[in-house]
Amino acid sequence: MISREVIEDFLYYEASLLDVPDLDTWMNLFTEDGYYWMPAAEAQRDPINHISHVYDDRVMMEIRRRNFVHPRAASKEFNIRCSHLIGNIRVMPAEPDAGTEIPTGAVRVTSNQHVVVWYRDEQRIYAYRGEHVLVAVEDSFNIMSKQVMLINPDAAQRSLTIYL
Amino acid sequence: MTRVTQATIPDRNFDDLVTPTRIHRSLYTSPELFNLEMERIWGQAWIFIGHTSQIPNTGDFFTTNINHNIPVVMVRDKTGEVHVLHNRCGHKGAKVVETRTGNVRGAFNCAYHGWRYRLDGSLLAIPNEAGYEDTGFDIDDRCNSMQRLAQVACYRGFVFATLSNKAPDLLTWMGGAKDCFDNLCDRSPEGEVEVAGGVLRYEHECNWKFILENLNDTMHPMVVHQSVVQAAKSYIATLPDDAAKQRSEAEIILPFGSSYTAFENSGITGFPYGHHYDGGKTSIHANYSVMPEYHAAMLAAYGEERTHDIYSFNTHNVLFYPSLTIKCAVQNIRVIRPISVDRFVVETWSFRLKGAPDEMLQRTLLYSRLINSSMGMVGPDDLEVYRRTQEGLASPSNDWVEFHRQYGKDQVFPDRVVGGGTSDLDMRTQYKAWKAYMEGSIFNGGAQ
Repeated sequence: MISREVIEDFLYYEASLLDVPDLDTWMNLFTEDGYYWMPAAEAQRDPINHISHVYDDRVMMEIRRRNFVHPRAASKEFNIRCSHLIGNIRVMPAEPDAGTEIPTGAVRVTSNQHVVVWYRDEQRIYAYRGEHVLVAVEDSFNIMSKQVMLINPDAAQRSLTIYL
Repeated sequence: MTRVTQATIPDRNFDDLVTPTRIHRSLYTSPELFNLEMERIWGQAWIFIGHTSQIPNTGDFFTTNINHNIPVVMVRDKTGEVHVLHNRCGHKGAKVVETRTGNVRGAFNCAYHGWRYRLDGSLLAIPNEAGYEDTGFDIDDRCNSMQRLAQVACYRGFVFATLSNKAPDLLTWMGGAKDCFDNLCDRSPEGEVEVAGGVLRYEHECNWKFILENLNDTMHPMVVHQSVVQAAKSYIATLPDDAAKQRSEAEIILPFGSSYTAFENSGITGFPYGHHYDGGKTSIHANYSVMPEYHAAMLAAYGEERTHDIYSFNTHNVLFYPSLTIKCAVQNIRVIRPISVDRFVVETWSFRLKGAPDEMLQRTLLYSRLINSSMGMVGPDDLEVYRRTQEGLASPSNDWVEFHRQYGKDQVFPDRVVGGGTSDLDMRTQYKAWKAYMEGSIFNGGAQ
């Protein structure tokens, strides 16, 4: 079993990239078929037959990254900075979802994350339960999936121009 | 029977705020005008409430507000009839139903003093009722019930209600825009749609009218959405051909960068009461790939010619002024609810075409997620420019917002007005209705 300390270091590193934000480096933490998912309902299990706030694979992450730095993207003209605070980290063996293959040694990590976002001259706060599936590579990890389960997924949300 | 009475609308003309080609900036900034809009526009027009597929069984309900604050509940009774009731106890006034959706077993039960109501809103029982004897209280007076709205009507599953008993019937009010509901439903091989896949709710920190104006503002996509179009185009170009072809995202995002000429050719059509759509013969949704399994189901249901006709009517955004906009070719709708002069919420609902393969709903949801989500590729840039407009209009440098494009060139027919796709015909259509609603003449010939 991989130690929680090593996992914690990785989650802190991932969060530091989103805090800046440095989407180029962050994206490359994901495996080629990795995805980022923010459901729009409590206990939502299906990203395809139910609406989500976001469900991005690497192709969509790349389009979003290019849009994020585009000089004519009006909603991206403001400085955006985040502060992630991570706690309640738990590590368990990954269990495959239907139809997916999980390599030996992959782990499922849950955490509580509080994110303060500075955007458009205003601070906002988000809270979510994160669920990462991580696979070990060399001396670090790759992200097979990251689920962001907001405590208020069905609330009216405001524009969010950054991954949490 | 006692009905909810509507405030008498005093004579006041709004010539000083609305002309055929411009409106005063206070329409977006004045809290007093906002309150008048809630009474005179949202309090008179047919407002979209919900869809019958949300409440399939006896006692199923769905709650919403019919304007910025009047709570209503849509419920199915044991005969199958759908009612829209004021969500207000006849006793002290508490909201009777608090959750968004659910099922009432037997009767509505007020959480405060336990007054109970049948599913048609009539008062069923009061605890310890003897205390009302000889007090003059009339249990049969409709004012002690959960009152019905002045009018409720349903077209192909879409339920509307109005607080006005003077509004014409729903089909008259919809006019030619009704064709768009037909087209949306006829895109199902069974001729029916149902709400599916959940709802996205998106808060907008600006006046509610901005989104209505933006729907068929075809001069903005190539500016506001150029960044995402370029981001998508530049990256997709680097993908191998077969990988690029599999990405539905490309056919959804790239048309937002269509040329002025393409949008001009799509045309805009306006109707009485402020409704309008752009497109018809073509739109930015016209070149979506047709899924073979879906096409086969359509051919089996309608035959070649009718199927072709259904596909060929291709609108972009249809507005049923002021509360609902639908996308027939995408099968999603957006429901507008004002909150205050500078805040409103948009809900995006997706629909399943009955009898169509799951991939059709999946594409609808992909569209809603990519375009309409608060984390989408298109919605946040639209909202950004609305917010800048809201902030900019605080400036006293110019009291007017103009909409002259192609003025005088609109073709006027008895039931509709047709113009070029980049004209401001949509603005002229909705502000003509805005003025007639606000002046109280909308149902006395003011809509024409």
